[in-house]
Amino acid sequence: MRNTLKLLAVLAALTVPLAAQGGSDTKGKFFFKKTCKSCHTPGSAAKEITPLSKTQAQWKAYFAAGKHKKGAEKIDSVVKPEQVKDIQTFLVNHASDSPQPETCGG
Amino acid sequence: MGTIRMDRRLFLKSAGATAGAVAATQVGCLRYFKKGRSSAAETKEIPTTCELCPNKCSAIAVVEGGFVKKLNPNPENPKSRDMLCARGNAAIKQVYDPDRIKQPMIRVGARGEGKWKPVSWDEAFDFAAKKLSEVKDKYGPQGTLWSSTEGFQEVFFKNLGLAFGSPNIVRHPTLCLASVNLAYSATFGTVPSFDLLNSKFVIMSGANRFESIITPDTMDLIGGVMERKAKLVYLDPRFTVTAAKADEWYPIKPGSDLAFILAMIHVIIKEGRHSKDFVATYTTGFDQLAEHVKQYTPEWAEKETEIPAADIVRIAREFADAGARALYYAGRRSSWYQNDFQMRRAQAILNAIVGNWDQMGGMVPNAKLPKGEFLFMPWDEPKAARVDEIETAFPLAAKGDGVYLKLRENVLSGKPYPVKGWMVYKQDPMNSLPDQAKTMKMIEQMDFIGVIDLQMSDMAWYADVVFPESAYLERTDPVEVMPGIWPAVVYRQQVVKPIHDTKPNLEIVQGLAKRLGLSDYFDYTIDQWVEAEFKDLPIPMAAEHMKKHGVWAASGQPSYGKTLNPEHRFVTKSGKIELFSERLQEAGHDPLPVYTAQPQPRNDQFRLILGRVGYFTHANQSNNVWLHEFMKENDLWINPKPAERLGIKDGSYITVTSSVGSVKLKARVTEEIRPDCVFMLHGFGKKSKMQSLVYNVGASDAVILETAWDKVSGNAAFHETFVKVANA
Repeated sequence: MRNTLKLLAVLAALTVPLAAQGGSDTKGKFFFKKTCKSCHTPGSAAKEITPLSKTQAQWKAYFAAGKHKKGAEKIDSVVKPEQVKDIQTFLVNHASDSPQPETCGG
Repeated sequence: MGTIRMDRRLFLKSAGATAGAVAATQVGCLRYFKKGRSSAAETKEIPTTCELCPNKCSAIAVVEGGFVKKLNPNPENPKSRDMLCARGNAAIKQVYDPDRIKQPMIRVGARGEGKWKPVSWDEAFDFAAKKLSEVKDKYGPQGTLWSSTEGFQEVFFKNLGLAFGSPNIVRHPTLCLASVNLAYSATFGTVPSFDLLNSKFVIMSGANRFESIITPDTMDLIGGVMERKAKLVYLDPRFTVTAAKADEWYPIKPGSDLAFILAMIHVIIKEGRHSKDFVATYTTGFDQLAEHVKQYTPEWAEKETEIPAADIVRIAREFADAGARALYYAGRRSSWYQNDFQMRRAQAILNAIVGNWDQMGGMVPNAKLPKGEFLFMPWDEPKAARVDEIETAFPLAAKGDGVYLKLRENVLSGKPYPVKGWMVYKQDPMNSLPDQAKTMKMIEQMDFIGVIDLQMSDMAWYADVVFPESAYLERTDPVEVMPGIWPAVVYRQQVVKPIHDTKPNLEIVQGLAKRLGLSDYFDYTIDQWVEAEFKDLPIPMAAEHMKKHGVWAASGQPSYGKTLNPEHRFVTKSGKIELFSERLQEAGHDPLPVYTAQPQPRNDQFRLILGRVGYFTHANQSNNVWLHEFMKENDLWINPKPAERLGIKDGSYITVTSSVGSVKLKARVTEEIRPDCVFMLHGFGKKSKMQSLVYNVGASDAVILETAWDKVSGNAAFHETFVKVANA
């Protein structure tokens, strides 16, 4: 029993916390920059968007609604469905109220 | 829905990337020493960016006959203010240093014995990849540790560790200013710059800015003080050069700076001297702060700090009267005590209530400049949690940096899992971490250690394989935006060809990645990377401009007040400047800074305090032949009173002993330090015989420093060690 508990504790420690959101921050950043930022940049037709454009709750609500272009189309019609969760993870992790302390370099 | 598996085909489809060939530069070894310089050769001036410290000043290299003849400051960079310091000038001797690692080497004797076999790059890569794969097979990718210090090419090293599948990337900030970063982030959502050029009243706690150079702060402070625009109040147990230049110096009792700051806040609020409009519009939690600081009277603080209450009251009033142009300067140095975060946060709160935010002469959020980004193929996230348990132990800390000392404790204990492989880039944990004996134990329990560095640091001396990196003057690096009040984009371009069989870090990473089956993630050249970064610079012919000038600084004029809009959202939980922090409370920390008196040394003990000088960067340049001229050996500062009691004479050898180690060095008997403290400089007493000027000369503070860290940020606390001193 004690060994089983130890094993469970080790398995729990090995679980990446980000997995709770089910997405990859690294890949989300890539897809966001590659896809979303192709339109949502300063001077483009679409409004500039960065992770700081919304709070964590607002980003979660945005992806829960799943709409793009003020509701005119589904978000998975502009971003591949399998990429949506990664982009959501990236945007939520770096939102305007996210606890992301600044660091040096890196 | 899970994350999608990224493979090369998908990446190429997404990114439109093209494969680039890696062009490794190989030149004849020791050519410089064999042929010397040609005085008749053509002279060129090539702009680049200094790397002798983290300031990243712009320099112009004068190159004659393929060799660097001189380095000049580049006046186009507003951050470096047309200055290149002694360290910057001594970069020439970094290139032409006979102690440099001149080719890859594999250890053939015992670790630390100093027996090396020169090998080809292929042999070194094959050896390291085999060892890393063996660790991975036995312990998983999380069984490897990847530690590095900051630099333009650090990103490639860090990415190799992540692509390998290890979550255990540990960077330098928790040996540096993680507590400052976290304190200001928790309060303002960002870490601002301090407008010393235009401030009128500056207080510095131990930030020895006249000797520990930060650009532009050091030059701006000199301008401010010399021209009497600013009043400088300086708190430090030691009489530094900054103390000598200050208007007022207080040799504060170590560990009590927080009491001084809280008493200042007490006075300012009690007398209604805070900026009421600013506090009402931009902050949250003022009422809780006001109630909280009622207990921290100047009379109480006098007993804690040994600074007279009347002076605390007067300084608080003068500070508040200077208002928007008053600064409690954060500085850039490591933590001192286990409450360091709260001391830094009290500074941030004090700055906030006088309304110096985003004002000329106050604290200014950093302006940034746009640049492009090379989109490399992303990898699967590492599956294991970090070995330092940062998520639970330090939930507010920067996750990507790790927490170094907690990490070392966990690695030594083997919990939550074993770590048996250690890759190190440009860092010397043997000297940058306290308690060298513990670091040595960590080294002993590694199955494999690989080090990438220019010089044979003490860490490299104990490695199994060393990969020599080209000096900054021999390579091109990624483009960097230097945010600040005067932001700039800087470019470090190759000035001369490598004189030894060395490579830039990217090519070392690519050599390892190829053998580890990770080439797809590093399928680019430095030129492709840099071109992508140039692409979004909003200037015509950006690449040509950067190659010709080495820097771009937009208008060169500061812009104040952009965030002084009631609708502005700070990157905090509430969107306001958080005097009271719910997020800290939720994480189990004090939501307002609470003072706890620090333990003080017994009569037969001293507190060991640390500091820096202008001619070395940490433990790094003491072996540079030009800089070595400034100081050839470190010594221990000790006040004449205890020296007399102990029979210690100036210049005599003494032993300094803590609970973790003992060192021998010379005594400097001086009035310039409190009687209850001793001080020694970092960077001496090296174990590496390839640091020939400082090998076994003086002593390393890492031997006697004890392990302690700040409770919130995990930052190493370097002023917690008590020592005994005796004649040797």
